[in-house]
Amino acid sequence: MPALARVVAPLAGVIVAVALFAATRGLDDVARGEQLGPGFWPRLVLIGLGLASAAKLVENLRRAAPNDHAVARAGAAGLGGVRRGTLLLAIATIVLYVALTPWLGFPLVTVGFVAAFMMLAGARSPVAIGVAAVLGTVGLLYVFVKLVYLPLPKGDGVFETMTLALYRGLGIF
Amino acid sequence: MGEILGNLATGFVNAVQPLNFLMIVVGLAIGIIAGALPGITMLNSIVLVLPFTYLMGIVPALLLMIGVYCGGVFGGSITGILFNIPGDPMNVPTTWEGYRMSRQGHTQYALGLAIMSSAFGGLVSALFLAFFAPPFARFALSFSTVEFFSVVVFGLASVSVLGQSSMAAALVSLFSGMFLGTIGTEAQYGVERFAFGIPFLKTGVDFVTVLIGLFAIGEVLDQIVGTSSEPAAETPRARAVPRLPLLALWPLRGPLARGTAVGIAVGGLAGAGATVSSFVSYGLEKQISRTPELFGTGHAGGLVASESSVNGSTGGAMIHLLTLGIPGSAATAVMMGAFLLHGIQPGPLLFTRQTAEVYTIVAGMILANVVMIGLGFLAALSFAMLMKVPPPILNTFIVVFCFLGAFALRNDLADVWLTMLFGVLGFFMRRYDLPIPPLVMGIILGPMAEQYFLTSMVAHANDVSVFVTRPVSAALLAISVVIVLWPVVKRLCQRSRPASAT
Repeated sequence: MPALARVVAPLAGVIVAVALFAATRGLDDVARGEQLGPGFWPRLVLIGLGLASAAKLVENLRRAAPNDHAVARAGAAGLGGVRRGTLLLAIATIVLYVALTPWLGFPLVTVGFVAAFMMLAGARSPVAIGVAAVLGTVGLLYVFVKLVYLPLPKGDGVFETMTLALYRGLGIF
Repeated sequence: MGEILGNLATGFVNAVQPLNFLMIVVGLAIGIIAGALPGITMLNSIVLVLPFTYLMGIVPALLLMIGVYCGGVFGGSITGILFNIPGDPMNVPTTWEGYRMSRQGHTQYALGLAIMSSAFGGLVSALFLAFFAPPFARFALSFSTVEFFSVVVFGLASVSVLGQSSMAAALVSLFSGMFLGTIGTEAQYGVERFAFGIPFLKTGVDFVTVLIGLFAIGEVLDQIVGTSSEPAAETPRARAVPRLPLLALWPLRGPLARGTAVGIAVGGLAGAGATVSSFVSYGLEKQISRTPELFGTGHAGGLVASESSVNGSTGGAMIHLLTLGIPGSAATAVMMGAFLLHGIQPGPLLFTRQTAEVYTIVAGMILANVVMIGLGFLAALSFAMLMKVPPPILNTFIVVFCFLGAFALRNDLADVWLTMLFGVLGFFMRRYDLPIPPLVMGIILGPMAEQYFLTSMVAHANDVSVFVTRPVSAALLAISVVIVLWPVVKRLCQRSRPASAT
């Protein structure tokens, strides 16, 4: 882990714990008589989080002191050796998958996602990608729409019409 | 004893009637498959079969539900071991060890151990139900929320040693999980906490979204970005077919017996259930083990203890339901509904008034756990076939299944967003050595701890000393303190030794 991150991450933990602790103010206004209010438990947890983060900060500072390279070797893997471009693309693909689903509908987005993510994951054969994307999505629709009655997002406007037509074509609607 | 054996024999005769036996098998199959699918929990599957029982007689109806119950608590361990996706929170400790074993090329061994230990735990707990139900129920009734709180604290305390490289990191992770558990509308006063005006946060963070994200999505990302933080064995996929390691269980008889005992004991406490018992059993095993440092790296003892306690808790939970008429868990609450629908009132008089039905249920539980060995094997075999699917296809469809599992919780895309967010978080936690298990334990057990603590405070006029004046609670808390302090004391001793040597 870079030296800066070793300090910043646990310090952020302390700051977040303090900020959230402040946000518990007023929670106990509804408490009856001598009873503990709804803010008691979160405050206890946040004190624990703050103290643990502070302990982690001290631990990191102590470990970092003698030799940064030795610490890096002994410690976490970090992002060393990670294909950062692939990582960013994978996260972006997942985000797009969820973000586009309400508009385009589950079936269409899933076909696109499966094809894109398979390529990111190393698949190269267009036939395999196409077959997996289409047949996989159809199989999932049969299980989750026909058998489990899961109301998967159908999309908006024309895409909803398309999804419903697909469902009728597959005999699952 | 003779009377019980006679009743049990009658129960077996009833349970092996074709329709009754068929219901056990069908229930087991539904339970195992539903339990294995993330997002569809064992509880969901029991609720789903409830309407089908309306047209049945009481015995086949209850045997169907018993089958779903026993199969459901086991099913989640299959996908946990194969894909790092626990089907249910109770299967999380099994996943910690089983998936690591799978990555090391011991998939068949891990699956076989899970099947055998689950069946053993369930079988022993069903026998316990048959022979010791009334006295155990009276004992369990003496426990209150004070003891429940201490049991949960004991479960949480064990995480201090689960984070192997740094206790501070483990505690950061644990308290983060506990904090996530406080988000949403609080149960006692109905006050919103930390929702910050975001509508979906008002109902809280469902721990299943956290589980699926941290374990499954995090693992997929770790695998596709090139350098998985953990090397896979050369040919684990080719050896994914399960085998039943009957003889291999003998060296693991200690964890097996302890896991089963913890399962029965914790399962028998109203409100505790299989999830608490699996964590407590796993934590206890780690304390007792001669190789605690190997926990989390594919420890067979950890897997066996957790899995036997999960199914061991079924008999314990049924004791509470049948003898006291108090459902000990959400699953047994639904089963109580089935009893009432068919005009049977569970409670102290059930064993004397409806002896035949009760012992048929007990015999059904025993049969279900025996049949589960075969059905579990077949199910594991089917799921293991998926291991032969090329990694790009498998990893992609794991993400899609996570989407579906998260969406199925509340039919809300917000849960899918949370799952994906925790997936990315899980990836970075792996990379930066922040242990994931404590966070998971915190979000599952934290809300339980809060509920038991506040209820105890209300019942005892805010007198905190009640936790140390009641013997069982005091003992559990003392053990928890020792567990937390022991690594610190050990480290101090190790430091002072070289100093004194020089």
